[in-house]
Amino acid sequence: MKREQLTQSQKLMVFVLTMSLYGLATLFTELIPKFQVGIVEFSVEYFLFIPLVLGMLFDPMSAALGAATGELVFSEIMLGQFGGLGEIEKFVTVTIGVYIAGRLVRNPKNQKMVGIAAMTGVVVQQFLGMVVDILKVQFAVEDFEAVAGLPQSVYATEGFAFLNDVLFSGILFCLLPTLFLVPKLYGKIEPLLGMQPRTPDTELSPIGVKTVLVCVVAFVFAIASEFLAENGFELISWEASWAESSGAISVGMLVAAVIAVVMLMVMKKKSEKVEVQN
Amino acid sequence: MEKTMKKLSENILDKLSMDFLRNQVLKNAYGNDDTVIAKLDPRVLLVWYLFFGLVPWFSGNVVFLAGCFMLVMATTLLAKVAGLVLFLFILGVFSQTGYLLIVSLFFGGNATTILPLLILTLKVATVSLASITVFSGLDPDRLSDGLMWFGCPERLSFSISYAYRMLPMLMEEFQNVLLSYRLRGKAPESKGFVGKVKNLIYQVKIIMQSFYPLMLNTAKRSRTTVEALEMRGYRYAATNKEVKKMKLSSLKVTYDDLMFLAISFLWMAIVAVIMTYI
Repeated sequence: MKREQLTQSQKLMVFVLTMSLYGLATLFTELIPKFQVGIVEFSVEYFLFIPLVLGMLFDPMSAALGAATGELVFSEIMLGQFGGLGEIEKFVTVTIGVYIAGRLVRNPKNQKMVGIAAMTGVVVQQFLGMVVDILKVQFAVEDFEAVAGLPQSVYATEGFAFLNDVLFSGILFCLLPTLFLVPKLYGKIEPLLGMQPRTPDTELSPIGVKTVLVCVVAFVFAIASEFLAENGFELISWEASWAESSGAISVGMLVAAVIAVVMLMVMKKKSEKVEVQN
Repeated sequence: MEKTMKKLSENILDKLSMDFLRNQVLKNAYGNDDTVIAKLDPRVLLVWYLFFGLVPWFSGNVVFLAGCFMLVMATTLLAKVAGLVLFLFILGVFSQTGYLLIVSLFFGGNATTILPLLILTLKVATVSLASITVFSGLDPDRLSDGLMWFGCPERLSFSISYAYRMLPMLMEEFQNVLLSYRLRGKAPESKGFVGKVKNLIYQVKIIMQSFYPLMLNTAKRSRTTVEALEMRGYRYAATNKEVKKMKLSSLKVTYDDLMFLAISFLWMAIVAVIMTYI
């Protein structure tokens, strides 16, 4: 039996499908206020079940990339909450989580495997997110260790958020809907995209060393974007030193800026005059 | 009679809030293309963003951070961002750092904990306001053109344009599906604590279930989209340099763009001078 090969356009279909659905869902979660009961946060943090389901039924890589892009575009860029470097980390963790979950499922009819894969995806994604979050605060706050109570509080809040997300959002909003949707959609949604349903014969090869390696490299890349901060401190201390060593340079900068503004004003006036004359 | 009135007002309220969300999102996406910020060249704005989205992370100087913050606040006001987005921003920034403050006080922190947290808050606020200015203030098409000019993957700029076009439709469809599910079922009484919990569970369940038809519908639609794209040679065009050139020919740097950069530079120069003499 030959392995099912997806064409490029089918991959694009999966990408578009996951992107629009997960994007819509994350948009809602961004808008719905979270309410806290004591220290426990009840939030519909997560509609991760959508890319999980689609990753199990279709090509995992396209679904994973689609989900990450959807979240980036719909809930970050459209609402103007794009956080720069931090988004790289989110993008990578969502991609890895969904991809691993999608690769784990070899037969979507096997309920147990679907459940295990869904939970694995959530745990992987949340754990990576937690690690990056802790590192982020460590680098954003200088003398992190020196500030009394800060390290413990960061570990406590992040660790708690992790457990909360896995146990509460993970089970309620990822495990249960995935178990409900995968068997229901299996065999129904594939023909809509012109594909064969995934069967044991057409399954993807099991997760190999290569997959894990690529995931690790991607994660290191995500952390590296945060580690940039370390070198950044040096960069700024260099900048601060010139600013402090001589006021002349900063005054010079000011003069240059004033000249630039005035010059632009004059140039603009001139060009407008030319336009009028023409 | 009274009961039906109450039901009716409840329904209207429900619809209002849903419509309110939709309007806010759409207003944010399409509503403000006549502002000063929206008229600027996307490339210039992205370069500007690169500075204000990155540099604050690396600086620990309060004066510098405050200067950056004031500038991006001014640009955000110029961009006339939708109220909901600003509200979410304020909520996000203060819930994050306020929560950290309380927990670190709990772990034996004191007043010295406040300064690093203030710096962290300023950093987060500056970076997010800069991104709100650029990503919310710019027209989506211009934004994706700008990203493409900088060599972002075609997938990303396609996703942005696609998301902005599809979002209203997707939201409406989701709302319709949700309402039809509500029509068919009978919500449990929301009296007392048990009733409220039951009602909440019911609502969440409906939302999860409504993703089933939504997934099937979106699958159909994304196939249509991709086939239409393929028919116009999308994948070939995406990698063709000639097409890219044609697409980007509308971008033009004007005096206004340079003026915007010069004024930002002037402001930062003033801040640098203050920094030296303080």
